[in-house]
Amino acid sequence: MRREVVKAAAWGVVVTLLLASLIVLGSRNLSHFDAALVAYTFAVLFATFGLTYRYAMWLQRPPTALYWKRGWQVFFKRGYRARNIGNWFKHIFNDIVLNRFIWSRDRLRGLTHWLIMWGCILAVAITFPLVFGWLHFESLPERPEWYRVFFFGFPTFSFPSGSIFGFVIFHGLVWASFLVIAGVMLAMRRRMREEGAVALQLFAEDFLPLILLFSVSLTGLMLTASYTWMKGYAYDFLAIVHAITVIFTFLWLPFGKFFHIFQRPAQLGVRFYKDVGQHEEAAICRRCQQPFTSRMHVEDLIRVEAELGYRYEINAPGVEHYQWICPPCRRVLFALAQGKLWQGRRGGVDLGVAPPSPPAYVNPAIGEGPLGQEDKNNFHA
Amino acid sequence: MSTKLADSTNIIEAFGPHPAYSHGVWLDTGVEPDKVVKTHCCFCGQQCGIQLKVKDNQVIGFEPWYDFPFNQGKLCPKGIKRYLQGAHPDRLLHAYGRDATAASGFNAIPYEQAIDRVAAEINRIQSQYGPHAFAVLSGASLTTEKAYLMGKFAHACLKTSNIDYNGRLCMVSAGAGNKKAFGIDRAANPWSDILHAEVVWISGANVAECAPITTDYVWQARENGAKIIVVDPRITPIARTCDLFMPIKPGRDVALFNGILHLMIAHDWLDHDFIDRHTVGFAEVAAHVEEWTPQRTAEVTGIAEKLIHQAAEWWGTAKTSFLMHARGIEHHSHGVQNVLGAINMVLASGRLGRENCGYATITGQGNGQGGREHGQKCDQLPGGRDLGNPEHRAYVAKVWGMSPDELPPPGVDAYEIFRKIDAGEIRGLLSICFNPVVSLPDNNFIRRMLEKLEFFVAIDFFMNETSHYADIVLPGSLHEEDEGVVATAEGRVIKINKATEPPGEARQDWRIIQDIAQAIRRERGFAFNNSAEIFEELRQASAGGIVDYSGITYEKIERQYGVFWPCRSDDDPGTPRLFEPGAWNPIAQGKGPFYFPDGKARFNVARYTPPAEEVDREYPIMLTTGRVVSHYLSGAQTRRIGPLVDHYPEPRIEMHPLLASRLGIADGDWATVESRRGSCTLRVQVVKTIRPDTIFIPYHWAGRQSANQLTIAAQDPISKIPEYKVCAVRVKKAIQAPPEKE
Amino acid sequence: MPVPQRMEFFIDLGRCIGCQACVQACTECDTHKGQSMIQLDYLDRANSTQTVPVICMHCDSPTCAEVCPADAIKKTEDGVVQTARKPRCIACNNCVLACPFGVPKMNTPMNLMMKCDMCYDRTSVGLKPMCASVCPSQALFFGTREEIERLRPRSKPVNRFQFGGQIITTKVKMLAPKDTPADAVDITAAMYQPTIGQNILEEMLLEI
Repeated sequence: MRREVVKAAAWGVVVTLLLASLIVLGSRNLSHFDAALVAYTFAVLFATFGLTYRYAMWLQRPPTALYWKRGWQVFFKRGYRARNIGNWFKHIFNDIVLNRFIWSRDRLRGLTHWLIMWGCILAVAITFPLVFGWLHFESLPERPEWYRVFFFGFPTFSFPSGSIFGFVIFHGLVWASFLVIAGVMLAMRRRMREEGAVALQLFAEDFLPLILLFSVSLTGLMLTASYTWMKGYAYDFLAIVHAITVIFTFLWLPFGKFFHIFQRPAQLGVRFYKDVGQHEEAAICRRCQQPFTSRMHVEDLIRVEAELGYRYEINAPGVEHYQWICPPCRRVLFALAQGKLWQGRRGGVDLGVAPPSPPAYVNPAIGEGPLGQEDKNNFHA
Repeated sequence: MSTKLADSTNIIEAFGPHPAYSHGVWLDTGVEPDKVVKTHCCFCGQQCGIQLKVKDNQVIGFEPWYDFPFNQGKLCPKGIKRYLQGAHPDRLLHAYGRDATAASGFNAIPYEQAIDRVAAEINRIQSQYGPHAFAVLSGASLTTEKAYLMGKFAHACLKTSNIDYNGRLCMVSAGAGNKKAFGIDRAANPWSDILHAEVVWISGANVAECAPITTDYVWQARENGAKIIVVDPRITPIARTCDLFMPIKPGRDVALFNGILHLMIAHDWLDHDFIDRHTVGFAEVAAHVEEWTPQRTAEVTGIAEKLIHQAAEWWGTAKTSFLMHARGIEHHSHGVQNVLGAINMVLASGRLGRENCGYATITGQGNGQGGREHGQKCDQLPGGRDLGNPEHRAYVAKVWGMSPDELPPPGVDAYEIFRKIDAGEIRGLLSICFNPVVSLPDNNFIRRMLEKLEFFVAIDFFMNETSHYADIVLPGSLHEEDEGVVATAEGRVIKINKATEPPGEARQDWRIIQDIAQAIRRERGFAFNNSAEIFEELRQASAGGIVDYSGITYEKIERQYGVFWPCRSDDDPGTPRLFEPGAWNPIAQGKGPFYFPDGKARFNVARYTPPAEEVDREYPIMLTTGRVVSHYLSGAQTRRIGPLVDHYPEPRIEMHPLLASRLGIADGDWATVESRRGSCTLRVQVVKTIRPDTIFIPYHWAGRQSANQLTIAAQDPISKIPEYKVCAVRVKKAIQAPPEKE
Repeated sequence: MPVPQRMEFFIDLGRCIGCQACVQACTECDTHKGQSMIQLDYLDRANSTQTVPVICMHCDSPTCAEVCPADAIKKTEDGVVQTARKPRCIACNNCVLACPFGVPKMNTPMNLMMKCDMCYDRTSVGLKPMCASVCPSQALFFGTREEIERLRPRSKPVNRFQFGGQIITTKVKMLAPKDTPADAVDITAAMYQPTIGQNILEEMLLEI
């Protein structure tokens, strides 16, 4: 077995065991554990193993490993710490709480993701502690219509069960499912009508997660409907169906699109890496002598490419590695190499001057040119 | 000018040009179009096939039309983004009357009221000063039906001599040269004859930018073994890897052609059989070019002798060839001579009227060919007939149901119309599809003349810079809002199909013209219900003429992907290649393929004269003007399409580094160009791809950015084309950028 | 549906006239409508009008995908390297900087790398990509092997490119002269190659 697989599996076992012991601990030796939810618990434990295993495998890929390491290094880099902590809050708020980058793709897509994300977060925040026995309610002995909330076995506040607050709390999952269903509908609509989406989407990758979220929400709502208005009609059957949908969703977590929930926070590390890189030394293209990205980024890529088995080293003096050539000059080399092959067959002579001048983007406007400031820097536009 | 002029800054703020970008339905990939309309691009004479996607009476995008044989789906950036001109915020949706007190300079007025005002003014001016005091300016981007109707409107309704069109700035030198040499004004060959020519000669044509689709034909010829010769003062993209590039001094083309012919004669690279059997006048031309030795040619043209020898050898010894030229040799005070020089070279080679042997001018405007065929030129009647020819007058008058005596005599050209305004002979003007404030040379004069008019009405879909001077602006139709035919650069008559209805009070231009005819109570012959009816009359009016459309029907065009005129009967498929041995025409009556009574082509002595304005100590640099790929003509349309504006946002002065260093100017600096007529401050682009004695400025912009403030109004004595391609200027570095506002 | 195997992309950069038809048409592609993925540069505008249009070459083993820390760049079974998968891409710029041809673009506000996907919405249903459909010079050509052999008898398609010690094989083919001996085009050997074209000054001008 390969070394990284063993390592990842070991991480999986450790984290899963950790969660299992937390369940035992948090439910006070399973005294608050609801035996009816045991299937859920095992599904979560399996998902935990799968997610940890995949995450660990992922972190061992050369580019990811390097980013992981560099991300922490630049975060704690001397002179940037205060700034990084400030930025951390800013990025968490913009990227994760608001999903601002998705809204800028398209407002409807932003709304879609926001509904699904917040619906899921709400549902998870309610169900997981309940399932693990971390959260339970007890009637106050002196006032039976009041409930006290226990978290991780510790008593917290209490409230009257018939109050509006109680209604909102006890129907938290209903609100979550409303959010998710609305989001899934919007996502489905887009996937069914937009030509661009239709061309690229795959069933397992793009539709299955939506179907799973939808079925979890719907069967959950049906349970509520059953005990609220229909005197528990078909409750047991619905409970089993709901359990099946939820468990399948958990089992699917490590494999499909859902993995991005765990992967995405890496975006924060990238932001620090780019931010610090911008303030440090720039890389200078060894053909056109123009700055393009950070020197750190080029050197890191050279390392990553070597680890991946690429041999972009160049013998030419003063160049060393192809990575030291900026993207526009690479495009230019492509044309020059072809032109050289045709020389003497198509008209024209060598026109050049040394050193070669920097290429220029023909359409400098953002509309049809580079897509953002980073591109502009990279392409000298 | 009846009322005060409004501030043009305010007009521009209200009516544009504002660049439009894709948004909403244009970006939504989930919208299913209601229909997809096969039509053609509105920009340039190649008239590429394109399919427009339409949703809720709006063009929302395009799809390549792979089956159309000319371009097979290919398009240039203008065609790709043309859909942005529909649903444009600047679109005129009402009739407007000028009112200097209004915030925007114009007030929207009811359409009927505007028409009544126009009618009253026409009646007043014509009764007060005579019929010729009201002039008409028309355009070659209109469909042929509209162009025909404009000619008929001026000649049969207004009965004024003074109608001319903006093709006067474009195709007339080639037209006049072709008529003198061949008796017919049309590209002699379809573009497919370029593909297997051994030599492709391109003179004064920036093919890559002004006729981009032709590029593939030229490169395909090279794949098949052709040598490409390009003559141009600039190294245009097509010149960059051509086989022989001759950096000619602007305005010296005829000297080069004469020099080549001199060498052809000297080496006997002639087709004697063809010259004897199919031409007349060779001896005089041969005698004339005797003095055009390579040495003298080199001195005049600024091209090294060895290149002239090389070109002559390739041209002289080729078995097949195709010669193309465009405005570069035509926009001159001796443009016709340049064209005749080129034709002499072709005739002496005998490579004409056969497969892979061809000659053509690359017509520039959308309907540059069709717009010059059916009577909107000052001396022309439908079918390519002459207004001065009694027989022709009689024929057309019969079709129009009037007496030949009622038709006015031939009038004057577009520029002369402005001189007649100056002289007080013309007091009123109707302009459609023409933006002379941007497109005519020495446009400061044009502005003064427009101010001097007693009444000026403009028909357009956007408020162009000339309309700022109009008393009444009538909202016309966009290309996609009407149907009709146009003739392409190849002479292929194709069909523009209607995709959308005109919005608001805007309406098809021919309806507006008919409304005016009705309002002045001369509606006889102006009661067409649709374009098809106009086309039916046009077919009759052209029958028997040189430009014979009588066998063309809308249905035949769709079936054959266009019909090359002449097409003389229902079972005539059209004539893709002219001058084929044995071809019949109404002039030669079978005596030969050319359109003269003896059926023979004419050699014409092509005389070299220097440009009207030579450089001197005071104005030591030559200025040449032209197009860029992302803009079309005066830019009234393309300066409103955001992605095309981004592509080339403002005119720049192209200048060679040698000249730049002498003037102390660096790339990106502002510089002021001055001629005897005006000055213009623009940013400089220092490039080695232009002659060091010449600068280049594209002409698509208005106001302070207009290159035509500098150009000279000298005109060719035959074609009356202005000399846009060369005048004398001086350049100095500007201390600062010009002010933003007008 | 996969892109039909017999339809191939051929590029002949020497034909390019820099008209930007590809750039403008690219924004009409449904998978990234409103944004152009074509990279079109002037090599050296001061000296020459030469331009280079670059589309994704769709490498057999794409460097961009290998260096992606988020595993966001995927190749479909028909060999088309797709734009980054939106949920995964963390906008790190690795692909932009690593691509040997300089293809990907970074959309910073969207936190998303975007690149040419050979108009997957069109090619996967049998249509030609937008850029190759409209290209007036046909520097970008999409068609069958037979068509290219008939239309470009002097050319041969090459799809191996050398960058220093690295050979990259691509799905898109570049047209080289028929008798080119090398089987891989050495890109980095052109490091100090000047642009090619006509020269007014030295070569042919009689007087100034």
